[in-house]
Amino acid sequence: MKKLMIVLLIASLLTSLLTGCFDRREVDELAYVMAIGFDKGKTNILKITFQIAIPKGMGGGGGEEGGGGGGGDKNSMVLSIEAPTLYSAINMANTTVSRQLNTSHAKAVVFSKEMAQQGIDRYIHTLIRSREFRPNMYMVVSRTSAEEFIKSVQPKLEGNPAKYYELTLNSYNYTAFIGNTQLINFYNAASAFYSNPVATLGGVNAFKSSKDFNLNDSTYTEKREKYPQEGDFRAGGITKYGELKTEFMGLAVFDGTKMVGELDGQETSYYLMATGQYNYAYWSIPDPKVEGYFILLNVKQSRKPERKVQMVDGKPNIHLKIRLEADILNIQSGVNYEDLKQLPVLEKSAEDYIKQGLQDMLNKTSKQYHTDICGFGAEEKRKFLTWEEWEKFNWLSRYKDSTFNVDVDLKVRRPGLLIRTIPSPTSEGNMEVQNQ
Amino acid sequence: MVNYIKNLKSLIFFEEPEKIEEFILKESNDEGKAEIKEAQKDSDRTPELKKRDRSIIKKPMSAASGNDSGEEQGENKEKDSNNKHQPSAVKPRENISTSVEENLRYMKDIFTVPDNGDIVIREFEITFKGKPVKAFIILIDGMTDRTVINSNILHPLMILSDKDFKTGEDDIGEFVKSRLLPHNQMKVTEKYQEVIDEINFGGCGLFVDGSKVAFAADVKGWLARGIERPNTELVLRGPQEGFNEILRANTALVRKILKDEDLIVENAKVGKRSKTPCSILYIKDIANESLVEEVKRRVNSIKLDYIIDSGHLEQLLEDDPYMLAPQIIATERPDRVAAALTDGKIAIIMHGSPFALVLPTTNNDLIHAAEDSYIRFPYANLLRCVRILGVFMSLLLPGLYVAITNYHQEMIPTDLLLAIVSAREKVPFPTVVEILIMEVAFELIREAGIRIPGPIGPTLGIIGALILGQAAVAANIVSPILIIIVAVTGIGSFAIPNFSLAYAFRILRFAYILLGASAGFLGITTGLFLQGVWLTAAKSFGVPFMAPFAPKTSGGFSDEFLRPPFWKQETRPDYVNPRDTRKQPKISRVWTQNNSEGDANE
Repeated sequence: MKKLMIVLLIASLLTSLLTGCFDRREVDELAYVMAIGFDKGKTNILKITFQIAIPKGMGGGGGEEGGGGGGGDKNSMVLSIEAPTLYSAINMANTTVSRQLNTSHAKAVVFSKEMAQQGIDRYIHTLIRSREFRPNMYMVVSRTSAEEFIKSVQPKLEGNPAKYYELTLNSYNYTAFIGNTQLINFYNAASAFYSNPVATLGGVNAFKSSKDFNLNDSTYTEKREKYPQEGDFRAGGITKYGELKTEFMGLAVFDGTKMVGELDGQETSYYLMATGQYNYAYWSIPDPKVEGYFILLNVKQSRKPERKVQMVDGKPNIHLKIRLEADILNIQSGVNYEDLKQLPVLEKSAEDYIKQGLQDMLNKTSKQYHTDICGFGAEEKRKFLTWEEWEKFNWLSRYKDSTFNVDVDLKVRRPGLLIRTIPSPTSEGNMEVQNQ
Repeated sequence: MVNYIKNLKSLIFFEEPEKIEEFILKESNDEGKAEIKEAQKDSDRTPELKKRDRSIIKKPMSAASGNDSGEEQGENKEKDSNNKHQPSAVKPRENISTSVEENLRYMKDIFTVPDNGDIVIREFEITFKGKPVKAFIILIDGMTDRTVINSNILHPLMILSDKDFKTGEDDIGEFVKSRLLPHNQMKVTEKYQEVIDEINFGGCGLFVDGSKVAFAADVKGWLARGIERPNTELVLRGPQEGFNEILRANTALVRKILKDEDLIVENAKVGKRSKTPCSILYIKDIANESLVEEVKRRVNSIKLDYIIDSGHLEQLLEDDPYMLAPQIIATERPDRVAAALTDGKIAIIMHGSPFALVLPTTNNDLIHAAEDSYIRFPYANLLRCVRILGVFMSLLLPGLYVAITNYHQEMIPTDLLLAIVSAREKVPFPTVVEILIMEVAFELIREAGIRIPGPIGPTLGIIGALILGQAAVAANIVSPILIIIVAVTGIGSFAIPNFSLAYAFRILRFAYILLGASAGFLGITTGLFLQGVWLTAAKSFGVPFMAPFAPKTSGGFSDEFLRPPFWKQETRPDYVNPRDTRKQPKISRVWTQNNSEGDANE
């Protein structure tokens, strides 16, 4: 009995050795890819760009300042390889990178606009099937080449580009200029019969100095405005100059997995409102009473949007009700909108402003792009008894004929720390602004 | 000058050393005798026992001892079985002789008097019916209280016996017992052995000529440690008394807390030679009677020569000696013993050990500290959570670290991962080796810290902190993050209230490191599964070790992982099957009810 026990013990110990630790990799035997870029190759089908973290530069507290060498604060390196597929590129990369490439910490996958317009179906499936790629990677469509974009990612606040991607691509929570475009969301929307996917629009800022600023890329003219609002830009064209070259603003709209158009920052806000992903953002709304002045609001979505779809003569009639709450940040004109009698004026004008924007955005996506990025089909889908009927119904082809009935309900809740704006008196004694 | 040269010569040239007979430890003639005797005794019994003992018989023995055993076998039957340890010529006798000379001779033989230096024999005379009667007392110096002997035994016997007594007993034994000895604890016996046992344990034997009986007075008076703070189980709140090495002081400490006549302190003796007194404590109408019987059965059935500490007893009593977790709690705290007794558990206190054994023990008890029930329940629950965290950290943290860094890099935040990578950049060893180096070093520091003599103690701290902590990192032997892991693990293991359990987890920790290194989370999960099976299968005195979690016991026993307020702990633990399951009525705070007029229990 005792002998048997010893034999069993030894056997079990040996079998544990037989597992061979076959997939054991020390952390420092791996090279961590932070971002992957897809471009059309010059000599091959693809040009894959890897951004690989250099942990040595991020150690920080190591104490050996001189040991870092020439690179200074180099935290990542960029490697571009032309190859037929993603995995062949990974294989080829390992011929030069000393450590095995590991993509389990990749935060962003960047497609060039050119690639996206041709369709990225096959690459999405590669990414989603693999265990190593995270489904919560962010999908980015770069308006420049992906290689150039990734090369330009040189975060200043972050030591680690992964953190840069994570934080900036999460900023939709407080800017509402980009969407939550994780790979899994993209895949779900792309594979569903009721919706179309979007990807965050990324770009490299074009301006060499602040003197070069122009509005060629702004969308304000389309909206018949006199000057651009904060959201009337797309990534790459923002009038901004600084050490950070890369920017994210707007959405790439896909039909299936083929990119068909772009939304600017403000339209993205409307998209978020219509889908209920809107959190809060600052808005500048033209003063309804005084020309040239703004009312600044911090607008939050108080409830999930109410979305209803009715089929009228085979055409979708979509009802959308958005409920918003706002805090007053400033009333530039000094008009006493805080007064309960005047408040509806302010609310009405904000409602109208947002309603108009929403209507334009929805019309643009349905009439111009024929894509249901807001996923209204989900409301229609529930009316079907069988999958075959729903499949046959072909929502996505009918969406372009839809009419929209948008209703916005905005309530101002808090005036901030001032109950009313009191203009500063001048030597001439009269108020600077008119007060009705 | 000649001497000088001679000495020089002896340094250089070889000289045959003088042949001196050195001391050689030879085989004793008696060796193996006792074992053979036992074996032969057993041979009358069941064949299974014989089979087990065969190994003993097979041991080589000298021809002489073989012959002896033949002779002894015949004598064996007459002999008092207790007296086998006297291989000398003294023929053991049972009953006390009426002749004091004979008694004196026999006692001298038994205690090997001229050789045994600390045996005191004092001969004197008692006046009985006007005539002097010879008597003597025998005691061991240092174990007895001299003043008590002088004033309570010698003084009345030698001086007061001269007085005129109104009534006269005919029997001198009766006379001495009822008239002359004002001592409170007297044993009157006709058997030599009882007197000898008493003398061995700090008693005083009194033999009187013409008496069939001898007296043994309890005059224990050896020096002992006082009642001090418990060293291993410190609390902030609660009694600060700890057990010491004296049995009766210890039982008194428990009785002092409980003040209940239903508390039974049963005596038992362990050790064929040492006859170490033990007390089995339980509360008559709470503890389950079959549990009491089982404990008594186990304690009384133990056969060995000497027992020194309750640690020995624990190892002899526990159910599964190969299980890592302790199955009996050893505690220094009388209040903890008392609390366990009120729950229907049983305690064993052994003479000479400041640790009482509390049984049966479940996993639940091992992570409770004495303090838990004294402090208010939110605080106690915080402490419990912290403690559980400590338990898991000390068990799993290094294993998890190895598993994550070797297999599951995707599990940790990118920043942390990169920090680990950059810290490991220059370390030449794999993570497992690295962590084993540090764990072994840590265990070394710990062990050395206990063994090191007091005055050199601080050196260890310097070596440990400086060399292991700083220099190892600076020399790139280990990464700084690993130092944190090992330190947190160490702190976690100090938070385990039961140090036996802490030992168990120290051993298991290495198993989890190896499992984590060989198969990642799969290995650790397998280990946890096996450990779970092991623990749930274990029993302590018939009580499942994982009770009340697995099996889940019925009843409202509520002091499990978290503890409810004290007034809600109404029942005793169900798994010890107490006779009385309720320890408080449904409403114990009667004042909370409006109509209560001070009449409790209604």
